[in-house]
Amino acid sequence: MIFQIALKNFLRQGMRSFLNVLVTALAMVAVVFNLSFYNGFQDQAVRNMVSTDVAGGHYRTPDFDILAPMEWEDETFATPDALSRLPSSDKAEVLVLQGQIFPNRRLFPVQLRGMEMQQTLLDLPLNKLEEWKTPVDDVIPIIIGNQMAGKSHLHIGDGVVLRWRDRFGAVDALDARVVDVVPLINPRIDEGVVWMRLDHLRQITHREGEVTWVAVEKFQGPVVETLFQEPEFLLKDILELIRQDRKYAVIIWVILIFLGGISVFNTQFLNIFKRQREIGTLMAFGMPPGRVVRLFTMEGSLAALAAVIVALVLGTIIFAWFQSVGLDVSHLSESQIPIRENIFLKIDPVEVIISMLVIVAIMILVAWAPVRKISKVEPTQALRGRAIT
Amino acid sequence: MKLYFKNIWYGLLSFVVLSSLLMPDVGRAEDDRAQRLLVEVDKNLWASTKYIDGRLIIDNGRRVRTLSMESWMEGVTKSYSYYKAPARERGTKMLKLEKKLWMYTPHTDRKILIAGHLLRQSMMGSDLSYEDMMEDEKISEAYVGTIDGEEKVEGVPTLVMTLKAKKKTKTYQTLKIWVDPVKNTVLQEEAYAKSGKLLKLIHFKEYRRIGDRLFPRKMVFRDMLKENTKTTYMFDEIKFDVDIPAKYFSQRILKR
Repeated sequence: MIFQIALKNFLRQGMRSFLNVLVTALAMVAVVFNLSFYNGFQDQAVRNMVSTDVAGGHYRTPDFDILAPMEWEDETFATPDALSRLPSSDKAEVLVLQGQIFPNRRLFPVQLRGMEMQQTLLDLPLNKLEEWKTPVDDVIPIIIGNQMAGKSHLHIGDGVVLRWRDRFGAVDALDARVVDVVPLINPRIDEGVVWMRLDHLRQITHREGEVTWVAVEKFQGPVVETLFQEPEFLLKDILELIRQDRKYAVIIWVILIFLGGISVFNTQFLNIFKRQREIGTLMAFGMPPGRVVRLFTMEGSLAALAAVIVALVLGTIIFAWFQSVGLDVSHLSESQIPIRENIFLKIDPVEVIISMLVIVAIMILVAWAPVRKISKVEPTQALRGRAIT
Repeated sequence: MKLYFKNIWYGLLSFVVLSSLLMPDVGRAEDDRAQRLLVEVDKNLWASTKYIDGRLIIDNGRRVRTLSMESWMEGVTKSYSYYKAPARERGTKMLKLEKKLWMYTPHTDRKILIAGHLLRQSMMGSDLSYEDMMEDEKISEAYVGTIDGEEKVEGVPTLVMTLKAKKKTKTYQTLKIWVDPVKNTVLQEEAYAKSGKLLKLIHFKEYRRIGDRLFPRKMVFRDMLKENTKTTYMFDEIKFDVDIPAKYFSQRILKR
């Protein structure tokens, strides 16, 4: 009975109800979009780093720090038997050392990254290096990423002098040839990185059997003289960055809900002010004040319920369109964010339901708050329009 | 007839035996000469103590910067430099003790230890690394030399020598130097990578007599992998065997 009256009243309000529903629905869509966008961002960044670099974790020396290139040369170790025995699908041996290239006779400091060719654990487009099976003679075959190629002005087939230090500290240099320029979805392994065959890098630096880390598919138990770095540790900077971004996103979330809430609150406040005679009549005919409050609260809450339906329709259309195009964030790769392709939403149903419920609860609350005073209204005063001023 | 052939046979045999015994001596004599020459070159360049008032002119191909400094050196392991100009670098101090190098900058009022791989970085944007600047071994001690031949450098007859490092840890495993055998001075030096690629070229210019030594007025360093860059070290004033206060080789000097 109350629901029917509330629904009738709600529909009679016309444009006011429509605007309430629209604002609340847009707030819901925006909140879910925001959450799903960060989920998608995190998911893609983590997936890119895991598939190209992190895998299921690294075995490294305890003191190795990728941000301390001056110490890379001191943090190599001979691949332990326990790891070298693993199949090529479960481990990738990597040697990282400092070097310099001289494109157009300009100094360009680089990270020399020697990658085991047999490995299939990491998804790296280094196939062209596999053709160079013979030891380094006069020319070192190298591969660089698109971003590195842009910065260094190097192209496929170009020659460039490469300088490095061997294990003993003696300086050495040879001509290198760019055998391929490849798209790398993770800019952290693109800019400033020169890819080589692991056997070639070991040969020219006299570091037979040495690695900087061994990426593994999963933890293989403790290995002497090494420390296993969990993927969470290796990804901690990007995860922390996203966590911080999520915190800032909450501010937008609160603003959106606040706007929706203000709209409903305002409508309710106007309702009880303008409809005092109606309230008085209902009470004069014997409707208890509590029931009148429930009636008006339900009217306001219907905006939230209708908003859920509109949000579902609007959201489905918007999300379907977005998932077909994605958001181009290639500019972020300049700042070492490991995403180069378009970002797509990752919708978490539990998160969506919780967000919707929170919004609906807030809307019911703001629909109820202004109508509480009805319970204290004198019917005679209300009939004269003087109960609520 | 048989005796005649026998005598010829013995003669030949004696010649071969004698030659094989004497030839290494000829080679050894050449090696000794090369090593003696390196020792003489070192005598010219190194002293127990040394004071230099000089300039480092860094030309990176786009602009030229001049650093003016005074340096005090004791043997091959201790040196102290004070930068006088330009204004940005004024007050910068560098202290080298054995294998360690400290740098003090007045802007930060802090001293920084430049050690390990940091020593390989370019010094103040020049073609020299800190390591090059703090070279602490005489060439006669660090390298074994062989004489390859003779060439003229700017009209001066020189011996071309190839120097091979005695230790695997030496930065440049091969050097090639052009030595004036009369004055025992190096006129040109080339530093090679292990692969044989030329990395650095140094010209020693305008030798002048200071006491009983000959010392260049300037050294021009070129990084052969870079284009149009050079660093000129001008020695405006040099004094050998000077008394250097002990405080110059103490970390306490690294403050304002």
